[in-house]
Amino acid sequence: MVALTIDGRKVEAGAGSTVLDAALAAGIEIPRLCHHPELTAWGGCRLCLVEVEGQQAPVPSCGLAAAAGMVVITHSEQLEAHRREVLDLLLSDHPLNCVICEKAGACDLQRYAYEFGLSESSHEKEIARKLYQDENAFLVRDHQYCILCTRCVRVCEEIVGASAIEVAQRGFEAFVATPFDAPLVETPCTFCGNCVQVCPTAALVPVDRIGKGREWDLTRTRTVCPYCGTGCGIEVATRGGEIVSVSGYGAPANGEFLCTKGRFGLGFVGHPDRLRRPLIRRDLAYSLGLIDTPPPAALGRSPLGRSPAAGETHVEVDWEIALDLVADRLAAVVKESGPDAFAGIGSALCTNEDNYIFQKLVRGVIGTNNVDLCARV
Amino acid sequence: MRSTVKVGTSTCGLATGAEATFRALQEAVSETGLAVSTQRTGCLGACHREPLVEIVVDGAHVLYGPVTADRARPLLEGHFTLHGAPPPPEDWVVSRTPDRRDYAFFAPQVKVTTANCGVIDPLSLEDYLAAGGYEGLRRALAMSPEAVVAAVTDGRLRGRGGAGYPTGLKWKICRSQPDPLKYLVCNADEGDPGAFMDRTLIEGDPHRVLEGMIIAAHGIGARWGYAYVRAEYPLAVKHLEAAIAQARDAGYLGTDILGSGLDFDVIVKEGAGAFVCGEETALMHSIEGRRGTPRMRPPYPAASGLWGHPTNINNVESYASVPSIMTGGAEWFSSLGTSESGGTKTFALAGAIQRTGLVEVPIGVSLRQVIFDVGGGIRDGHSFKAVQIGGPSGGCLPECLLDTPVDYGPLRATGAIMGSGGMVVVDDTTCMVDLARYFLSFTQDESCGKCIPCRIGTRKMLGILTKITRGEGDTADLDRLQQVAHTIHTTSLCGLGQTAPNPVLTTLRYFRDEYAAHIHDRHCPAGTCTALR
Ligand SMILES: Cc1cc2nc3c(=O)[nH]c(=O)nc-3n(C[C@H](O)[C@H](O)[C@H](O)COP(=O)(O)O)c2cc1C
Ligand code: SF4
Ligand code: SF4
Ligand code: SF4
Ligand code: FES
Repeated sequence: MVALTIDGRKVEAGAGSTVLDAALAAGIEIPRLCHHPELTAWGGCRLCLVEVEGQQAPVPSCGLAAAAGMVVITHSEQLEAHRREVLDLLLSDHPLNCVICEKAGACDLQRYAYEFGLSESSHEKEIARKLYQDENAFLVRDHQYCILCTRCVRVCEEIVGASAIEVAQRGFEAFVATPFDAPLVETPCTFCGNCVQVCPTAALVPVDRIGKGREWDLTRTRTVCPYCGTGCGIEVATRGGEIVSVSGYGAPANGEFLCTKGRFGLGFVGHPDRLRRPLIRRDLAYSLGLIDTPPPAALGRSPLGRSPAAGETHVEVDWEIALDLVADRLAAVVKESGPDAFAGIGSALCTNEDNYIFQKLVRGVIGTNNVDLCARV
Repeated sequence: MRSTVKVGTSTCGLATGAEATFRALQEAVSETGLAVSTQRTGCLGACHREPLVEIVVDGAHVLYGPVTADRARPLLEGHFTLHGAPPPPEDWVVSRTPDRRDYAFFAPQVKVTTANCGVIDPLSLEDYLAAGGYEGLRRALAMSPEAVVAAVTDGRLRGRGGAGYPTGLKWKICRSQPDPLKYLVCNADEGDPGAFMDRTLIEGDPHRVLEGMIIAAHGIGARWGYAYVRAEYPLAVKHLEAAIAQARDAGYLGTDILGSGLDFDVIVKEGAGAFVCGEETALMHSIEGRRGTPRMRPPYPAASGLWGHPTNINNVESYASVPSIMTGGAEWFSSLGTSESGGTKTFALAGAIQRTGLVEVPIGVSLRQVIFDVGGGIRDGHSFKAVQIGGPSGGCLPECLLDTPVDYGPLRATGAIMGSGGMVVVDDTTCMVDLARYFLSFTQDESCGKCIPCRIGTRKMLGILTKITRGEGDTADLDRLQQVAHTIHTTSLCGLGQTAPNPVLTTLRYFRDEYAAHIHDRHCPAGTCTALR
């Protein structure tokens, strides 16, 4: 722990923390655009500059190690003037389309423009790049909104390990590119969408989110990803009960980030084909007296090659009936042929806890070791 | 009788046709049967008289120039009075003395780092040794590393790459790092437009740079060295690689150098021609195979550089000064300069003066001495207007500041910088607004794009300047320029952005009337802004 003074307040900072970390931990806000707590410091946006006693020029707090006895000022007339000028410059290269922008309400640039009272840049407007790339099914890259904070580049390299993107060209022409400008699908991109999550503007947007409302239209719910057993915490943004987008939020199992399935693969949740209640076969249901009409005789393979719909072959029943039925039938098999006649296959799409309980059932209740799982957990 | 004919075939010489001259001389020698040897050498610095040919007969030197290929035969015949040929015309003669001080261009110069340039064959280790080469290394290896560092400190050598950081101190910090693996980097990226000091040094005397690096390695305890040379300098790369191979064979590089126990070797790395890659952290990223973008400091390279190891990075000329400190002594070296900085500085003197070229002067001489004594003043009846010193990061100084000494502190006080050695003189036919615009367009183009003030700010400044040169400016533009310049200077991450406004700020300060003329009178005093003719 080191003790330093920020804005006249004594602040304690943990080993290895930066002045920005220390300030944020103490509830002192410093404007910042390129900083992301999970990524290495970049120092490109220059908004986080602070005055440090004994130093001539302002220093970026995101890259400045907190040291004992440091005296830091985060807000001064000078600093505000420079921040304002930097934002003013940035806005000259940014279409202020907030009224139609997907990101409105959740955009860091919009937030700072509001805080500094900048409705438009005082400089000549010139948008460096207007390329709109939507050649893949997951994310849109809309370069005109890019502020070149490189959060996406860093997350892709440091967290994902894919290094699918990097800044290309220099100066005003610089932009976030794929190798040789190839479409993302031809790069090592895994479409995990972590770049989308860390992007502070509308430069990276999930395809499925477009036109589905803005931040204030969405309800955010934290839950566990239903896709696999890892148990990643996810934050699901919904509108009218429909999933609009998914992101990580800093949960114990996975931290901030997600894989492609958790982020873009939850379409099944609201899919009409999804089974929501137990179904049992029609012939079984008839023989058990649950329905009055026998199933059609030759309902197997249709001559037209069409698979029959669930409703034609099965009937919906209560959980109680379904579970009792399964229990009875299983007990009968075990009684007749012994427990080793039974084998259980768990699923990687279930949580660890579900799979644990499942093997307990197979081993302890049924009494066989014939249990396995596609992921072998 | 031992006679040698030397031709300067550095890049600058080649550009004026020195290769053809060299061939013509070889041909003429064989046809006339003269008992002279022809030799390639580096650049003497008198670019305004290239191609330069020096004929040395029994210690008598005559330097001729320009000697174009068609003059080769008459020159030889005349010099050696073959078949009763008349002596070469007097206006071909540059100098008749071994130290060349009879030529005004050379008289005020003090050659330390460039002493061998244009004198020895850069591809010959024997030549370098005969000129006292590797003596500095021998002396250094006989000293403790601490003593070597102390000598550089006492010599008051300051970094020649631009910022003027005390070299001894830099070495000391690097030496004191606990990490046993240390690197050394020689910065030969030289991206300033019009600058060619480092190129000339490496092309003309590669072993001196290498020797300086080896001495530094001893002082710091570095195991590996990189020489980062821009790819647009193929001849420099070739000469440096040849010197490295020779030094390895002769035991100046490799393991147990000269039996001292020092292990050190050097690898040449070619840069891809981005100005910003001359910035030390960007340069190291480039060596590591990453995008050449500066990063925040601290940590400084001396603490954490290449692949996270302590790394000492110096400019070519800084290293080239080191052997002389070892041989001549720290006291002598420091006495060459001022109380602030020791030694000499090379400048690429260009523009509207009589005698352009590469010059080396003691630190502390005045700008006036460099421009008027060495450079011979302004060309063809025009008058001096300004000197732009320090390249695109530097500033434009007017007549009244010509007595400023060329030294880090005094130049900084004017708003210019010492820089790496670019010095462009302009006369009354140059528009200062347009000149500022030119330099800004360079930095704007070469910005790496990492930080907002530099990436967008320089672009906006350029826009305003362009507007003014088109006669569309207004008074508010000047305030806006100054305001944006202030933010770019204060908030940019690296030296490129921090210094990019300098040409604009200095011209605004010293030539404000020219801005005013463009804005209020819609008139360009120099008559160069076409829209205002
Ligand atoms: C944009 C930029 C370009 C630079 N280019 C060069 C260069 O071409 N050569 C050089 O020696 N130093 C250059 N420098 C300075 C280096 O960062 C570094 O300070 C220098 O190499 C240190 O060596 P020295 O102490 O011997 O001067 C540049 C700096 C900046 C900011
Ligand atoms: S989707 Fe994932 S892998 Fe693809 S670019 Fe973004 S972070 Fe990299
Ligand atoms: S795409 Fe988004 S995250 Fe990436 S650099 Fe641009 S603004 Fe930053
Ligand atoms: S000041 Fe310019 S060159 Fe330096 S890091 Fe920033 S954008 Fe890049
Ligand atoms: S947050 Fe520190 S420079 Fe961007």
